[in-house]
Amino acid sequence: MKRYLTHPWLTIRVQLALGAIFVIAAIPKIADPPSFAHMIYNYRLVPASLINISALVMPWVELLAGLALILGVWKVAARNIAGILLAIFIIAISINLARDNAIDCGCFNVADRGKTHEQRIFDMKVDVVRDLGMLLMVAQLWWARKNEEREA
Amino acid sequence: MRRLTISMKRNTIFQAAAIVAAGIILALVANAFASRDRKVSLAGTYPNALKVPAREVPVAPAPAPPPITQTVMTTTQPATITVPPTATTATKVTQPTATAAIETVGLNPKAKTPAAPAPTTAPAPPPATREFAVHPDKPYVEIAFNDAKTLHDRNVLFLDARRTSVYEQGHIPGARTYSVWESDIDDNVQKLFAERSDTSAQALPIVIYCSGGDCEDSHMLAQKLWGIQFNNVYVYKDGFPDWQQHGAPVHTGANP
Repeated sequence: MKRYLTHPWLTIRVQLALGAIFVIAAIPKIADPPSFAHMIYNYRLVPASLINISALVMPWVELLAGLALILGVWKVAARNIAGILLAIFIIAISINLARDNAIDCGCFNVADRGKTHEQRIFDMKVDVVRDLGMLLMVAQLWWARKNEEREA
Repeated sequence: MRRLTISMKRNTIFQAAAIVAAGIILALVANAFASRDRKVSLAGTYPNALKVPAREVPVAPAPAPPPITQTVMTTTQPATITVPPTATTATKVTQPTATAAIETVGLNPKAKTPAAPAPTTAPAPPPATREFAVHPDKPYVEIAFNDAKTLHDRNVLFLDARRTSVYEQGHIPGARTYSVWESDIDDNVQKLFAERSDTSAQALPIVIYCSGGDCEDSHMLAQKLWGIQFNNVYVYKDGFPDWQQHGAPVHTGANP
């Protein structure tokens, strides 16, 4: 089982998929920073003075980490950044789920879609599950790397 | 072997820092060259950034016309705007912390009294509710369609707090675009202050709207205006979708 889960065939595909997801997620945010700033504001977790700078910088870091994973350059650093970002997203969405603050995740789309409270809460739960899945992809990369180092 | 591991860890930390640093540089450069409506100011001023909004529970339709409620909210953080030194009345104005109630104005003046009996016959289209007097103790008063229409008919200034791209797709005729999320919002507010620098002009009504529902952009803009002594600001709470639903005129394009 371990052999299959850490096999280079799987690892390279997980790395490419994770990179592609990060690049795809970053593009709409880079294209429209004011809307992404609005999304961050809606989380009610970031101090006012940091909202705009987060909205500007985070998508570019996402993009660069995604590109690094796709190109296989600095992949350990990129994997770690991806993992940290995913952990931040999961915690932020979970806190808002716990306090019943229904928000649009802003993960892949920064447009306000005019959803109801219930639709948003449901989507937030789906987002947490999806991000946990992506965190498992990061874990696979970490495990495969660890295995590779041990065998070397 | 251990030395190699430490070296690799250091290398990874350096690479991660390089990715973040490159991200910061690219973000700043991209923002510097972004178009007006895609640019953000580096440090925004957003009141209630850490305050979770109270959930508005939709009310089920009652058989009789429901009494218009007066909702009471409190605001804790007034917006502050630095007024340019050319302005004659003030250099920096900060209103005191708002603890005053924000009034929601109803369509029917009788219904402002909670105990008022519900009318038994179909009501005629309600008239203008009141004279829209200044209210320096609160940043804004929420109004509904009829009040917004009355003020529009009186050529009162309307400000559209939605994004410029949305404004261009359709807005209330005469409304100016004042998106709170775009970088030029403080400049626009200061221009408005320059236009209306004397006290009598600041007492003229201003109506702000956004997308209705849980949209807060109009409230945020109202707080900014209140912060520089505009004391007769109205928030059309149900916003542009409600305006369209009532079949009121709509203007498209970049011009008011």
